[in-house]
Amino acid sequence: MTQINLDELTHLQVINKKLVTGYHISEQDTLMWQELDQHIEQYSALFCSLGHELKHDSRGFYYFASDESTPNMGKISRAIALTVYILIEHFANTGKDPMRALFDEVNDLELMQTLVQMNKHLFDQLEIFSGSDLRKDVYLRMIRLGLAREVEGGFMLQAPVYRYIDALMEVNEETYLGEDE
Amino acid sequence: MIPAKKLLNTLTEHWGMLELLFKRFKMADFSLKDVQNAIKQKQPTWSNERIYKETNRLLNQDIIIPLAKSSQLEINRAIADFATFLLQEEHLGLAQEISVLVDDLARLGDRLANAGDIEDYDELRRFSRIMDDRVRKIIKLFTHNENAILNIVEHAKANNAVQSLQKRYKAVIEAFDEYIEPMLEMVDIRGDFHACFSKIETQISEQIAYIERSGKAYQDKRMLEQLRTRILEMHLVGRESLRKSADMLMPLREELRRNNMITRQAAKVLGLIRKNGVDNMLSSVQPHFVSDAQRFSLGQQRHMVAYMAGLVEFEHTEYELPDQQDVPAYVTPNIPDYNTVKTSFKKRINAKRKKPEPLLTFLGESYPELDADEMLFLYQKLVSDTDIEISQSDEKMRVKIAGQHFSLFPFNTKPDSEQKQTGNE
Repeated sequence: MTQINLDELTHLQVINKKLVTGYHISEQDTLMWQELDQHIEQYSALFCSLGHELKHDSRGFYYFASDESTPNMGKISRAIALTVYILIEHFANTGKDPMRALFDEVNDLELMQTLVQMNKHLFDQLEIFSGSDLRKDVYLRMIRLGLAREVEGGFMLQAPVYRYIDALMEVNEETYLGEDE
Repeated sequence: MIPAKKLLNTLTEHWGMLELLFKRFKMADFSLKDVQNAIKQKQPTWSNERIYKETNRLLNQDIIIPLAKSSQLEINRAIADFATFLLQEEHLGLAQEISVLVDDLARLGDRLANAGDIEDYDELRRFSRIMDDRVRKIIKLFTHNENAILNIVEHAKANNAVQSLQKRYKAVIEAFDEYIEPMLEMVDIRGDFHACFSKIETQISEQIAYIERSGKAYQDKRMLEQLRTRILEMHLVGRESLRKSADMLMPLREELRRNNMITRQAAKVLGLIRKNGVDNMLSSVQPHFVSDAQRFSLGQQRHMVAYMAGLVEFEHTEYELPDQQDVPAYVTPNIPDYNTVKTSFKKRINAKRKKPEPLLTFLGESYPELDADEMLFLYQKLVSDTDIEISQSDEKMRVKIAGQHFSLFPFNTKPDSEQKQTGNE
């Protein structure tokens, strides 16, 4: 069994606090990331005993895996998913390399307004009616979850967004039909 | 004819400027003014007169030549090729270039064999030299194309994100489809390339064997051996170079394919969402997050620390159930029947009415063979028995029962006179 030496896990408190709220620790969170990277075995063992499954994604982030969300979290997650997919489509439509633009472009309020305007009836379903709603309901929450970071003039998405891209690839007609039955 | 050394000197002297021109205009034309500006940029201290003289020198030595029927200039093609080689700014050649050379090699191989058969050693030597030249050319093309592919890859990677992916990777895809794939087919172990080489190899080997046997033209043997080695090496170099090029291009091609897939999928999913609604479509696939409310909260820091401290000590070991042999045999308690004890106790009280007597003394005297727990069992039974009149002492005492020390408020028999007394040990 892995020996857990609490003295070595100097950032345990802050890491735990972040992870239990659904935050994704990515390479941009340098301190925590390094700490996790160095003592990953100990942390995994410790969190495992606490009933959490610490996951390491090779695209550069750590998070607690979960099989279900609270209804509220579920709604947030759907809103984020929709935003990410619309972003991909938007970048592709404007002739950019969508995957590159997704992580390299600063998402400012103007972009948010455009997105909401162009996909009004989709965002209406999630009670997002304007660019600032999108900012408040999606982007600020993405920051809380470690999916984005705030930069000058807007937000930039981070590696954990790949979870949504993985989810995107999973969607097919059967997913929906399966739901229906 | 301009002496080579003179030309080389000019080239070294003006290399900086030529590199600048080469990089700025690639293969396009430029004006005399551009040349003078380039010189000025590299040699800011030079006077206008000197610059004019140097420009003329470049023109006179045919390093820069005027375009036909135009006042524009271009870099001499031979110099430009040399520069591409030096700067490794190579452009990808065609797979056909190599295949033509290989075909030629096969033809020359046949002629070499013929020359050998009719013992025309001059011809043999001549063909061997030409073949050697072709082989060098092919090797050069391989390395040249490898560099070119490296350039393409770097270019594609560093390119602006604003451009669409298709545009950025156009060169990559072209390189792959037009060079790597046909080349890989050719180099394949069952491909033309391989067949051609084994044929040439056997032809040369036969010639060498013949020379060895006949002893004629012995000095040509070494040349043929060298040619054979070189052809084998070329084959190897080609394979290596193609493998490397393919390795460089593959990930980019993969990325493009994946990006295309993601874009297509995003469009498809959004279409489905538009038809079926956000919640219906995404509920089953959305990623889940841990949230505060959902998990039991560990509360404050001290809980956390205590809990974790407990966890540190925790060692997961299998609990071992005792074996049959390990269990000590059950011994029935050696306690005498309570009623007998009671009767004998009552008898004793009646006998010694005068003095209060500690219960334990009685038990100790009557049943010296009992264990401490058995003794205490009887003691407790007697104490709680309502038939017997006893009183409890107010003073705490230490008593020794069957080798064990106990501290208790002992019960004593009640004497007739209601005097409180302490028991003795």
